[in-house]
Amino acid sequence: MIELHERTRRISPSRLHEILMEYECTSVVDPFMGLPTHLNYLKRHGIAVHGGDLLEWFVRVGEGLVVNDMTYLRDNEVAEIVEMLPGRIYSLDMFKAWEGVFFSEEQCVYLGVWHDNVRNLRSDQQTGLAILGLWRAFCYWLQKTQSPDDMQDIPPSELAWTYIRQTEQWVTPNMRRNTVRHGDVLATMGAQSGDALFLAPPARNSFRSADARIWMWEAWWQGNPYFTIEHAYRDSLLGARAADTPSYARAIASILSTAENYPVVVMQTTEQRMPELEPILRNARPNVRIIAPHPYEIYLVATK
Amino acid sequence: MTLFQDTGGDPRAARARLADVLSWYGAVSDAAMGNQPGTAVRKASLAVALAEVAQVAQNERTALYFAGFLHATGAIGSAAYRKGEPLTDRNARMAVWDVPARGARFCASVTSLPVETIDFVRWQSECWDGTGFPDQLRWYGIPQSAQLLALADFFVRADDPEEALNAIGLQSGRAFGPDHARTFTIWFHHNAGEVTEVAMPLEALADTTPPHALLDAMADAIDHHNGVNGRWRRIAAIADGAARALELDDESRAQLALACRLFGAGEIGKDIGEDEQFDPLARLGIDVRAANAAAAAEFAQPHATLASAAPIVAMRSEWFDGTGKPKGLRGKAILPAASILAATIAYARLDRGERLEDAAGTQFDPKVVRAVMETAKAHA
Repeated sequence: MIELHERTRRISPSRLHEILMEYECTSVVDPFMGLPTHLNYLKRHGIAVHGGDLLEWFVRVGEGLVVNDMTYLRDNEVAEIVEMLPGRIYSLDMFKAWEGVFFSEEQCVYLGVWHDNVRNLRSDQQTGLAILGLWRAFCYWLQKTQSPDDMQDIPPSELAWTYIRQTEQWVTPNMRRNTVRHGDVLATMGAQSGDALFLAPPARNSFRSADARIWMWEAWWQGNPYFTIEHAYRDSLLGARAADTPSYARAIASILSTAENYPVVVMQTTEQRMPELEPILRNARPNVRIIAPHPYEIYLVATK
Repeated sequence: MTLFQDTGGDPRAARARLADVLSWYGAVSDAAMGNQPGTAVRKASLAVALAEVAQVAQNERTALYFAGFLHATGAIGSAAYRKGEPLTDRNARMAVWDVPARGARFCASVTSLPVETIDFVRWQSECWDGTGFPDQLRWYGIPQSAQLLALADFFVRADDPEEALNAIGLQSGRAFGPDHARTFTIWFHHNAGEVTEVAMPLEALADTTPPHALLDAMADAIDHHNGVNGRWRRIAAIADGAARALELDDESRAQLALACRLFGAGEIGKDIGEDEQFDPLARLGIDVRAANAAAAAEFAQPHATLASAAPIVAMRSEWFDGTGKPKGLRGKAILPAASILAATIAYARLDRGERLEDAAGTQFDPKVVRAVMETAKAHA
């Protein structure tokens, strides 16, 4: 059985928004954005948001949730994603490698069908929303492998339909330019600037223990069930070059040094990682305020 | 003016007073959200019962109670429920998403509450699969107690307990974590779906928030919600001056001061505010005023700390000549403080204050009208 993490990264956008408002920030750059639901929240509240990540599916979802101001998927368009379309040739065995390990035969077929259908969408925004909705269906299946008796059997297409249709509600404009970028942290910071830099840096070598739901969905998007997340991180700032503690500290310090023009840097971390990150931040910025509502959710707010 | 009598250093009495103010606000916020009366108590009690089944730590259970009790406080002042906010359906739905975070900010301002209360309120509407609001947290990122609060909310809003049980089962892995849905099922079968109301854990309230300051802030928020910012403060200033001029005793003045803070709650659940609907001197609005007065009195009555102001609030729609509502009281049968409150509310609403004199002898006691006018002139 697949191991689903008990402790996932928690970013509370409403709390982050309160912090940004306190410092009168109207734009924010998040180069480690992950699933950009928090950027969607900030966007909805009028903040210009710019995100970046190494995993492509996060960026694609960002196209739907962050960049997208008005496009959504109508009923007929959702129907063309969740089921096999007559006349189209599908690579039904694309995810056969997962069969019996994580999923049933039927589920693997659906994963192949969805992959092909989503890849054939012509709008980046719609693609992003579809990826997000399908990911939730995929997570439901993985969760069900752990709690088979507690969760309902829902036909795949119905489950996917519900989740994709739901994504429409998060599409909203904020009259600002919002962007997402597929790239390393420094590439994102080099391309965008803002009032605040939000950093939730991954732990050293965290890609080795990343949540299966995250890397498996990248594998799905790439159409390669053998994909591992290490591929994405290998050549990045926090990849192999930051495998030991001093290198990791240098990598974070170089990010903060690049961020010297940002009036505010908000670094989110945990109580466990505070001793590692706080000195680096204090070294880069004279004023650091600690907001610690929870041991798993600590904000270090650094100003000049 | 001292709003509340000194508790003589009795911490239990001070906590009970704070609890009364919080309970009152919990009930008012439920009304602001359009919930059935008693929703907050049932939700808090059920959440605590679920926490017992799930063997949640005692401090979290206590916080969970307060979170359940104050679950709707974010609705007061929210654009989704505020009067005079013409929102599209879509924008209204988005405004609803911000209600839990607003509630969390209110809880953070009440330092007497257990600190965990803040996040339980903030995340009470999050869904296990990440489709909830406001933060779209997912899986174990949502505190267990916040999920139990979400379950309690779902159940107390349901019409039929059995249907709610089935619906919660269907939502296992989606709105609710499978473990949490199982917790609910265990509770349901042990208790046959009956929620036993639990008393507020007073001992968990710290003595750090002065009740009168809290009540002032709440009255401000209610005025903001009703689209009449600062109304109660203007009314309280004039009403107290008039009460002095009419030589009311200290106790009556304290009750009047309390009533000034409480009467606005009667309008909280209405689509249109009293001020916008009718001229304050017109007989046409008497039913609306009486209904609002009765609602405000109902909110205050169950709470010992606030109950003394309930009759004043309830009588503010009576007329001096006996043709008012709801009881048709005449002349001296109307409490002097209620007469002052009614005349001051009307005065504060009028563009030309001298029009109040037209209602002397019919709607208002002429002595009261004189006192209100003179006080208002002195304030001007």
